[in-house]
Amino acid sequence: MTEAVIKSKQPELIQGKTGKSAPRKAKSRFSSNTLWSGGLLVPVLLFFILMNVVPTIWMLGLSFYDYTLTSAKGMEFIGFDNYTRLLNDGPIQLAISRTFLFMVLAVILQTLLGALIGFLFWRADRMPGRRLALTLLFTPMVLAPLSSGLFWRLLLDPVFGLINYFISSLGFEPVNFLTNPDWAFTTVLLVDTWMWTPFMALMTLAALGSVPKAELEAAQVDNLSMWQRLIHVIIPYAKFIIVLGILLRTIDVFKTMDLVYLMTNGGPGDRTELIAVGLYRLAFQSFNLGYSSALAVLLLFIAIALTSIYLFVLNLRARKELKDQS
Amino acid sequence: MSRKFMINSHESGITAQLKGRRRGFTAIATVGIAASLVLAGCSSGSDDASSGGDNPLTGSTATNMQGKSLTLGYSRIGGWPPSAAPEAMFPAFQAYAKENYGYDVDLTFAEAPFGELFQKIAPTLAAGSQEFNIMIVDSQWLGALAEPGWIVPADKIYDLNPELDIEPFSSLVASTYQVYPDGSGQRWGFPQMPDTQGVFLRLDMLEDPANQAAFEAEYGKPLPTTYEEYEEIMMDDFVEIVAFFNDQDNGMYGTALQYSKDYDFFSCAYYPFAYSRGGEIWNPDTNQIYGVLNSDVNAAAMEEFVGLKKYQPASFATQGIGEVVDLFTTSQAFSAFQWLAIGKFMIAPELEGKVLAIPLPKFEGPDGKPKIVGAMGGQPWVVNSFNDDDHMRVSVDFLKWWYLPETQDSFILENGGLPWSKEGLNNETYLNSAPYVRPFKYMLEEGRSVDFWHVPEYAQMLAVQQEAWNGYAAGTVSSAADALEYTAAKQQEILFNSGRSEEPPPEGTASLTLQ
Repeated sequence: MTEAVIKSKQPELIQGKTGKSAPRKAKSRFSSNTLWSGGLLVPVLLFFILMNVVPTIWMLGLSFYDYTLTSAKGMEFIGFDNYTRLLNDGPIQLAISRTFLFMVLAVILQTLLGALIGFLFWRADRMPGRRLALTLLFTPMVLAPLSSGLFWRLLLDPVFGLINYFISSLGFEPVNFLTNPDWAFTTVLLVDTWMWTPFMALMTLAALGSVPKAELEAAQVDNLSMWQRLIHVIIPYAKFIIVLGILLRTIDVFKTMDLVYLMTNGGPGDRTELIAVGLYRLAFQSFNLGYSSALAVLLLFIAIALTSIYLFVLNLRARKELKDQS
Repeated sequence: MSRKFMINSHESGITAQLKGRRRGFTAIATVGIAASLVLAGCSSGSDDASSGGDNPLTGSTATNMQGKSLTLGYSRIGGWPPSAAPEAMFPAFQAYAKENYGYDVDLTFAEAPFGELFQKIAPTLAAGSQEFNIMIVDSQWLGALAEPGWIVPADKIYDLNPELDIEPFSSLVASTYQVYPDGSGQRWGFPQMPDTQGVFLRLDMLEDPANQAAFEAEYGKPLPTTYEEYEEIMMDDFVEIVAFFNDQDNGMYGTALQYSKDYDFFSCAYYPFAYSRGGEIWNPDTNQIYGVLNSDVNAAAMEEFVGLKKYQPASFATQGIGEVVDLFTTSQAFSAFQWLAIGKFMIAPELEGKVLAIPLPKFEGPDGKPKIVGAMGGQPWVVNSFNDDDHMRVSVDFLKWWYLPETQDSFILENGGLPWSKEGLNNETYLNSAPYVRPFKYMLEEGRSVDFWHVPEYAQMLAVQQEAWNGYAAGTVSSAADALEYTAAKQQEILFNSGRSEEPPPEGTASLTLQ
């Protein structure tokens, strides 16, 4: 009976799909779907235009002007002068090179430590207290950088800080972590590493989770050494997610501002002055909107270049998956 | 009405700026124009709130605010107790407003630390907002607030309310908290909390007979213990006392000064060493800095200032106002160079009766005579140009109330404030109310303190010198002379680029770095 009903309805269904009325219905459904989905996009598009496109265009425009918010002089069009000034601005160039150094060191440290931690927790389901350990491990990452900065500043204070209290109680001289020129940059780097290594550990865990169990079991059956398993089985599968993690961190470290601002304010002297701190000073302390816009445009291009690498890697994976499927 | 008032009041500043903006906006993008129209629409909302035909700068009359209810917004400096006092005293203003003018008023406030408050208020003012009707600001910001026409010229309010025009104790009050441009006589601010520098000492340690005997044995002269002796003390003699009490092995530092890179902490603590030795930081007539700031006198003064680090914690280069308060109030420092306006907070309850506050020690001036010139601190009130009529009236009423004798009594005697008027500083009750009032008066006398630049570029200039000078203290800049050379060149560049100085910076300044 059921089969008969199905069979009897099939021609109608087929006709419905292939008959003369089908294109019209499909078209109307298509247009209403398009309208509906387009309508749903409107708020996002509006938000994107208002919050991203307009400010970017505005910033681009301002970068061609000599304009300080607190001056009665008003705006003066100066063409590319802000950009040529940037090319000769010693402190800005120094801050950019310092930022790149910070970025490279931070990403390397965080990737290596993150990978190490990821491997420790990988397939360690029976480890006692694993969940608690993971929760505690990821805590620094979810804290606001402002809180972390203040927290570390107080901990590292040579007079009132807890860390120097322990150092002194062991009979050593207190260390000026944030004011000694030899220590300040390293200290900020280590705090950033403390904060963001969990992110790389998370990425490593996700990457390791993407390695097929069958392949790992096969490697075990084949009696491959741990090193061979790593090179021939784990890395080929895990590398995309880890590289994505590295790129995300690279982009993020490049923008580091709040942690440094709270911990050292760029000091001692200019020893920890990263470019985002410099931009903040120019734009929001000096209100030199023209020049700071030019710097922001320059940094935007650098960020776009880094993002392009990120997108390229994403596409690389998609291309590989397509290739595997075919 | 308020918009018209604003434009008429500051025709030269605002009109020029609006014209400049218009030219700029047309050249940017259509989207930008649309956005600016939206902003303009938002900011013009305050026009509707105006009421009454009388001049709101006169304040309220007995009738024109009757039955109304509104909120007064004010901004204050976070972590700076003197600027929080108006909030504590506000119930008295509410009663005053109700009784005299028949309206109800509430208070909202926003606060941010010294370095960040300007960032908080400037965007609201640039957008024509009356979020903050009346503001406590730092004296260096006067130019940055006055030039764009964001604040009401105080002279206009003084003209209509002569009772507010109180005779100050010295010309330092006007030149620091009121006048912009420097020397023009045009007033923009109203003194809120005056401030000068001084030193807080542990009187109990000075008066300890054992210490007195030990000091005399070591230095062959008696240990000064009275205010009168310290009023005349020379810095070299004072440093001997600091060295005597410096006992770091037992957790007692000889002194504490400010060397932090934050805001103007290093600068203001260093200035007395330079000013008193005969150094200058700029020529205010020509806006020349290069060749003035980078002098041998200033370099020697900076070396002397930083040289005092041997009597301080190893973290001296991060010491700001708060750190110095902590060191002194936790009995970790025998003395502390500090702003006298926070005297109430330097004398913790457990130190009551154990603290002596003195003016800054004197230096040997260029003519060989003892000389002290400290840095001026303190803050003025300024009134928002974009206030609607009702809020403008309430702001003026607030000022009238603030300068009433009974309000000043409450501010000075109960809330840690300091007087600034001639009458106030000759009032024996005020002078004896706290140990830090006498040294404050001493430092407020003509020529004993001076404020630094009020130009709108102050933030840029300050950032340059704080970075370089703190770098010298921390050891990232090799010498005081290098730090001053860098600062002078960069500041000259800032003033030259802004069109404020015709004096160009030396060649190669743009690429100059601190490395």
